[in-house]
Amino acid sequence: MSHDEHARQGGLSNTLKVDTFTCVWCGLTVSTFAAEGIRREHCPSCLHSRHVTDHVEGGPSDCGARMTPIAIAVLRTGDWRVVHRCVRCDELTSDPVCADDNQLILMRIAVRPLAQPPFPLEAFGTL
Amino acid sequence: MPRRTSARDGGRSRPRRPQRHKDVPYRYGGHRERDFRCVGCRLDVPGQAPGTAHRNHCPHCLASLHVDDRVPGDRAASCRGRMEAFGLSVRPDGEWMLIHRCLACEELSANRIAGDDNVLALVRLALAPLRDPGVAGRVLLTL
Ligand SMILES: [Zn+2]
Ligand SMILES: [Zn+2]
Ligand SMILES: [Zn+2]
Ligand SMILES: [Zn+2]
Repeated sequence: MSHDEHARQGGLSNTLKVDTFTCVWCGLTVSTFAAEGIRREHCPSCLHSRHVTDHVEGGPSDCGARMTPIAIAVLRTGDWRVVHRCVRCDELTSDPVCADDNQLILMRIAVRPLAQPPFPLEAFGTL
Repeated sequence: MPRRTSARDGGRSRPRRPQRHKDVPYRYGGHRERDFRCVGCRLDVPGQAPGTAHRNHCPHCLASLHVDDRVPGDRAASCRGRMEAFGLSVRPDGEWMLIHRCLACEELSANRIAGDDNVLALVRLALAPLRDPGVAGRVLLTL
């Protein structure tokens, strides 16, 4: 059910809060809509997600497997996105970061390439 | 069926003509089949270089072309949009993977970095999330 349909049927902001899902990785019960009103695609605590949309063909996917966060990407607007990879079929997705997403895990994913560089970073001197 | 003239008669007297340079067959199955011109920076990229196998992105600007569908190398996508280096992820074995995103259809793909990829472009990509004062600043304040 989309955000608009919710607004039309309930007309109350608290109907949004009732809509929840359970995280496939950490088991947390998560409200489907974040405080900003945007639809969550991943768990705010562990950032894992579920493969429910087919991003190659479009429409719903019958995979349903867990998706792990593998990278942080930055849009030209400067907004962060979390890149997920499906553990079963390897499909990739990217979702916007919500304000209450676990900042420590976000940061850990963001710095991981620099912690394991394939070449010596000292060669760059002061970055 | 035409016959080769024997060495004893007129064949020897005919001057040898050098082969004309053929550039077409190279594109279709020849040894330079995998060469391409970058959609991002127009660099002519040789398909083969030391430390690279199945090159799929420009070593200078890291851009790529949306030609693969689900499986890397299947060349099944009809999109042919320009794919930009979007992010970096690290495989469990420590190898850096480039995440490409198609500017036309937003599809993502993950590709291994190559031995001759522009190191500055890679590091710039690795630092991109940390340059953002929004999330990075907020996170550092909460640590
Ligand atoms: Zn979770
Ligand atoms: Zn899947
Ligand atoms: Zn290029
Ligand atoms: Zn595309």
